[in-house]
Amino acid sequence: MNAIETIELTRTFGQRAAVEDLTLTIPSGKVFGFLGPNGAGKTTTVRMLAALIAPTRGTATVAGHHLGPDDSAIRRSVGLLTEAPGMYGRLTALQNLLFFAGLYGVSEPRAREQAERYLTMLDLWERRDDKVASFSKGMRQKLAIARALLHEPEIVFFDEPTAGLDPEAARTVRDFIKELRSEGRTIFLTTHNLPEADELCDLIGIFRTKLLRVDSPANLRSSLFGRGTIVRVAGDAAPWTGAARALPFVHGVSTQNGALSVTLDDPDRQNPLLVQALVQAGAPIQYIEPMSHSLEDVYLELLEGKLPTTTPTDLSADPGDVKL
Amino acid sequence: MNDTSLNRIVLILRKEWLELRQQRGLIFGTLLPPLIFALLPIVLAYLAGHTSLTSTTRSSLSPTPTATPGVNPSLAGLPGAELGQAIVGQQFSILLLLVPVIIPSVIASYSIIGEKTSGTLEPLLATPVRTWELLLAKMLTSVIPAVAITWLVGLIFTLGMALTALSSRVFIAIISPGWIAALILCTPLLALIVVAATVAVSSRVSDPRSAQQISATMILPIMLIFFGQITGLLVLSPFIALIAALLLALIALLALWLTTRIFQREAILTRWS
Repeated sequence: MNAIETIELTRTFGQRAAVEDLTLTIPSGKVFGFLGPNGAGKTTTVRMLAALIAPTRGTATVAGHHLGPDDSAIRRSVGLLTEAPGMYGRLTALQNLLFFAGLYGVSEPRAREQAERYLTMLDLWERRDDKVASFSKGMRQKLAIARALLHEPEIVFFDEPTAGLDPEAARTVRDFIKELRSEGRTIFLTTHNLPEADELCDLIGIFRTKLLRVDSPANLRSSLFGRGTIVRVAGDAAPWTGAARALPFVHGVSTQNGALSVTLDDPDRQNPLLVQALVQAGAPIQYIEPMSHSLEDVYLELLEGKLPTTTPTDLSADPGDVKL
Repeated sequence: MNDTSLNRIVLILRKEWLELRQQRGLIFGTLLPPLIFALLPIVLAYLAGHTSLTSTTRSSLSPTPTATPGVNPSLAGLPGAELGQAIVGQQFSILLLLVPVIIPSVIASYSIIGEKTSGTLEPLLATPVRTWELLLAKMLTSVIPAVAITWLVGLIFTLGMALTALSSRVFIAIISPGWIAALILCTPLLALIVVAATVAVSSRVSDPRSAQQISATMILPIMLIFFGQITGLLVLSPFIALIAALLLALIALLALWLTTRIFQREAILTRWS
């Protein structure tokens, strides 16, 4: 079952398109990372999917409910962590949570249980009776995360959950998201933190007004640049480039920091042949390792228009998960 | 209105009042003017009736004490001390109608702009709460205490006048059927209009004081009645109070309609500055 499906979802403000033709399918139980620069339309997308603002055109289904006619049902089915935590400073942490739980229709005894559960998970239970005005930014953020989950939503939208947090608090939040993922909850994560997206997400969409690319992090890293192998040799690597280039399955060879960087179609199958050819040519191989690109490389290349923006038809890592 | 809507409205009201209780300065600043409006006329009316005021002092309490009886039948034929007391009482009774203008503008501006500045509007709107429920709860947050305090102050004023009035004619001249009708009918409507105006203003400003200052223009109609009463051009009869209530009801309906157009989920998130 799919948690979110959008077809040509578009939102304009006057003449300016904030989101254009967003067609996306996110299966249930996945952590979807939504990456893009400031002003790319990420928050507008989240607001549309959380039934806070209406699309100018296009359709969407969220948790099985149609955007527009079922907005109220959508709001009951999703949890939203907004960019700013937005808590009532004069109320205590517990009063804040009980208030919002009540608005979601959670009974008070159940809301107290839920508040205890999530405040404990987020290390805030001891501070439950303190006024939120006395909380640090990290504590407010964790409280806002607890608020987003009180009614046990099927889908949780996290807009920049670790922005501005110290490393310890950010780690707590990331661990918490991992725990939610293990519960099988669908998470729509908006972030600028690319290593965080790489660590947490099953799928990543790179977005700037339009969706540029959707894939699993591993596929994004490999399929956009091609796969390959780094061969480290003793001494200068340049003399051995010819031996590698002579192999029919090698697409490219370059030298980097005294190592050969060889682009291949299928490293698992072709590495033994490559090593054999280099050894026969007399290359003093020290060790080999897989060529890796960071998500940041992919992200920047895509935004700079240096890479194709279509999603590969063969999503071998998780076929059928994401359609563009 | 179903039970769920009612529950949500009550929940928001409880939260609002819980937050208000934490703001002692705001409560003190809000309650002080009504208290002064209730107690000062009682003291002045007592002085006007029970001390040997000079004619100069009496005339300072009313600019035209001798001209008024000709216009206001309730004052016709009253002897000097009773006339002074009746004039003081009547003028302050009109000032009491300012209470439902002052209180809601203060509470509503903090209630709505507070949500904007603390960033709580978006998470609030992300819940299943309907915008009309939120708007109604926000309005009731201000209107209920404003009307309750106004009527309480009116009661204190009435009791004070009952104790200090030199005669039953003086008491009836001050606590007139017209004034009672205005107090009962007009004050909730005035409070509603002020809250609606504050909501409208709050959508454009980010400082509660700015919203209060703009909403304070609602004092003007009351001041017109006040000066009308002083100059003798307007006598607050039940008929006038009824006409005023009808007029205010029309304005309140228009203001509510405008407010519901402004207070839309999407407009709040995308257009409120």
